[in-house]
Amino acid sequence: MNEEAQRDAFMYMLKKGVTDFVGVPDSTLKHFIAEGLARKKAVIATREEEAIGIAAGMSMSGGIPLVFMQNAGLANSISTITSLVRMYEIPMIFLVGWRGYLDDDAPEHRTVGRIQPKLLELAGIEARVISEDDWMEGCSWALRTAKDGGRCALVVRRMFHD
Amino acid sequence: MIRRRAVKIVAYHMRDDPAVSANGFISRDLHEVLDKKSNFYMIGSMGLASSIAAGVAIKNPHRRVFVLDGDGNLLMNLGSLATIGSMKLNLVHVVFDNRAHESTGGQPTASGSVKLGRMAAAAGYKSYHAKTEAELDDVMERVANSKGPVFVLVRVKTGGEKSGRVDIPPVEIRRRFELSL
Repeated sequence: MNEEAQRDAFMYMLKKGVTDFVGVPDSTLKHFIAEGLARKKAVIATREEEAIGIAAGMSMSGGIPLVFMQNAGLANSISTITSLVRMYEIPMIFLVGWRGYLDDDAPEHRTVGRIQPKLLELAGIEARVISEDDWMEGCSWALRTAKDGGRCALVVRRMFHD
Repeated sequence: MIRRRAVKIVAYHMRDDPAVSANGFISRDLHEVLDKKSNFYMIGSMGLASSIAAGVAIKNPHRRVFVLDGDGNLLMNLGSLATIGSMKLNLVHVVFDNRAHESTGGQPTASGSVKLGRMAAAAGYKSYHAKTEAELDDVMERVANSKGPVFVLVRVKTGGEKSGRVDIPPVEIRRRFELSL
């Protein structure tokens, strides 16, 4: 997802009702996060579980939070998703950078890249992949889901190497 | 000091301020000594009470938010000290330190040799400690109107009075907590 689409997606989420953005940085999502930091709307946490905890507090305070992270952080967060987010039925949106989507991504990302769709499914978080062509549709779905009291994930594929 | 008695003293100082309590015996104690809609009993997700409270504090900057934490819980999420300290959140972060994972059978934590209060101070908290019930009551009185993150390390014994499980369904805990804010 290119820079323009990421920045536009951030502004769309902000204008349409996401009140808070909290997470751990990911290079796949860096322009989305940069837009949030420039607008002083993003909180950087030390770990993804911490970010989800903060988002839970924000959600219970009436906000609609979005938690951004790399898929490595999603793997860290499974227990937090099952025993906090799902158990208390706390609305929030996850935005996950999909490392290991390309088979020749760096070796540390390959295994989690392969199991990521299954991880989300097993954790009970419905997910949609978004790209520069169709992000608005996915973002609009995620906002509807969270406003209706649900939890869901938007996934951005890592399509480049650095 | 017995933990449940320490929890009771803190609970009386919370008034109607929102409070998030750590999983295990601390949530059980709080539920038994002073159940209120403004208590969020964190049943699972060990370590995250301070982070949930941080989210509440960010969204409610004019309120004082309490965390009732344990040494084992805090050691699982030490990063939260950095986040809360750097954001200067209006939290009263009380840690009941029995130097053990008591809920799981009393296995030791590192808090006997690691100075949690000094770690909190280094992160930007105002740091206090209490060893007796009178000291705890006094500290809670003193921090009543202080701004920014406050850390209160309460030395408690293992054992003592045991509280039962929190019997409120999780979704109900969340709903009534939301309504109290």
